[in-house]
Amino acid sequence: MKLAVMSCIHGNYEALNAVLSDIDAQKAEQIYCLGDLVGYGPDPNAVVEMIRSLAIPTCQGCWDEDIVEGLNACECSYPSQLAEQRGRIAHEWTNDVIHPEVREYLATLPMTLRKDNLCFVHGSPNSQHEYLLPSMDGFAVLERLLSADADVLFCGHTHVPYDRRLEDAALSVKVGAADNGEPLQQLQVPLKRIVNAGSVGEPRHGRPNATYVIYDTDTTQVTLREVPYDYHKTCEAIIEKGLPPIFAWRLARGVEFAERADDPSHVCER
Amino acid sequence: MKWAILSGIEGNLAAYEAVLKDLRRRQVTELYVLGDVVGLRGASENDNEAVIQRLRFPKTDELVPQVCVGWWEEQCFSLHGVSGMPEAPELMALAGGDGVKALWESVSRASVGWLRSQHFGFHELDCLLIHGSTAGYADELTPETPAIELCDRLIRADANHLFCGRSGRAFECWVTPSRLTSTVTTLDGPQAPKDQGKTPRRVVGVGSVGRIPGQATYTLYSPASNQLSFRTVNYSKAKGFAPV
Repeated sequence: MKLAVMSCIHGNYEALNAVLSDIDAQKAEQIYCLGDLVGYGPDPNAVVEMIRSLAIPTCQGCWDEDIVEGLNACECSYPSQLAEQRGRIAHEWTNDVIHPEVREYLATLPMTLRKDNLCFVHGSPNSQHEYLLPSMDGFAVLERLLSADADVLFCGHTHVPYDRRLEDAALSVKVGAADNGEPLQQLQVPLKRIVNAGSVGEPRHGRPNATYVIYDTDTTQVTLREVPYDYHKTCEAIIEKGLPPIFAWRLARGVEFAERADDPSHVCER
Repeated sequence: MKWAILSGIEGNLAAYEAVLKDLRRRQVTELYVLGDVVGLRGASENDNEAVIQRLRFPKTDELVPQVCVGWWEEQCFSLHGVSGMPEAPELMALAGGDGVKALWESVSRASVGWLRSQHFGFHELDCLLIHGSTAGYADELTPETPAIELCDRLIRADANHLFCGRSGRAFECWVTPSRLTSTVTTLDGPQAPKDQGKTPRRVVGVGSVGRIPGQATYTLYSPASNQLSFRTVNYSKAKGFAPV
C-alpha cells in the first residue's frame, strides 16, 4: 500500500493543489498530514478546508497550536530574533483572518497518529517544537523512535525532507565501575527509520518546489518527491495580502533566511 | 580538586549539619547541592526555612554551597505563582491538600525569591550536575531507567558524567552506546553511512541527604582522577552522628 505523507503546508494553496495532483499521479491510497496547515502563507482557510474536505488524517503542528492556544512558546521556537519578529507578524496576520470553524478544527487535531508500526508527528514524539535534523545524534533519534514504539517515525517541522536509516544499534548499561561485571541492561535494535516529509508550502531545501514523501508499506521503500508549481502566484498573494515581503523572497528560493538554531533539540516547556 | 555533591536535604537540617560536619575531614574544594533543599519528607518537624538560611549564610570556615533547583523548589514556584503550573498538580498528587498547606506555610515568599535565583544546573568540565536531567526537573534516572533513555539524557547533557539527584539513590552506572550505523538520504541522494558509536559515559545518582531520617548519603568526586565515592553518614538529632 502506498502512503503519501506531507507536512508544513503553511497556507500555500497553490503548492497543496500541485502536491495533491502528484499524489494522485503516484497512485497513493492514503494521505497523512503532519500539521502546520497555517502560518506564513496567504490562504490558511482554503488549505484547512481542502484538508478537511478530503478527510486527511492530520497531526497538530506548532503553528496550528499557536493559533489555537495563542503564542506561548519561548524564544526557542525561532532560530533568531529576526525570525521571531517575522514569525510574530505572520502569527498575528493569520490569527486575524482565520475563520472560527477553522480554529475549532485545528484545536481537534491530535499530537500523534499511528498506523501499525508507523508513527506520525509534527516535530517529534516529545514536542511539536523539537527539530529532528538529519545531523542529530543517532542514539538520540533512536530514543524518539523507541519512545514512540514505532519502526518508522514520520516527522516534519524542519522543511527539508530526508530518509534516515538507523541500523545495528547496540547499547549497554553497567552498574558500578565501567570494567566490572555483566551489563544490567543490553539493547540491540536491528533497524529503525525516520522519514522527514519536508514541506509542501514553505520548502527550505534550496529550491522553490514543494516536497513530500511516498512510503510503500509492502516494500518499505521511501521516495522523496519534489513537485514544481507556480510559486509566483503564492508570492504575489503574500505581498497583496500584506504579509512580510521576505516570505515571498524566501519562498521563491526555497530557503529559510535565518540563522541556524543554537540548540535545535531544545524542547520549549512553556 | 574534590567536589562534594549533595541532593535532597528536603528540609532536614539535622541531616545537612551531619553532612557538613563529615565534610570537614574530606578536603573538599567545591560544594554542590542539586536541589530539593526544601521538602516535607525529610524530618518529622521540617526545617525548610532554617535549611535555606543555613545554605544562604554558611559559617566563615565553610564552603559556599552552589545550589540548583529541584522538584520541591519547583512546587514552591508553582504555589507562589512565579513559574510552572499555578495549581501545583504534582504536589497535590504526591502530598494532597495538607502537603500543599505545609509547604506553603514552611517556605517564606522571600526564600522562594532566593530559591528562584538559583541555578538550573551546573556544567563543569565534562560534567553536568543537575537535579533531574535536561529533559526536566522531574526526570528520575536510575540504573533501571531504559538504556536508551539514559543514553539520550547523556547526549542532551553534552557531558561524559551526569550527576543527578531526583531518585535519591546513590549509584554509578556506565552507558556504552557501542554501535549504530546511520545512513541519510536527501533529495541529493544517499550520503555515506556513519558509525555513531561512542565511548562509555556515566550517570551518577548522588544520594539523598535528608530523605531517610538518620541516614544521609552524598557523593565525593575528584575530576582530575575521575575517582568517585559515596558517603553514608548516620546521625540522630539527639545523639549526634557517626560516619560509616
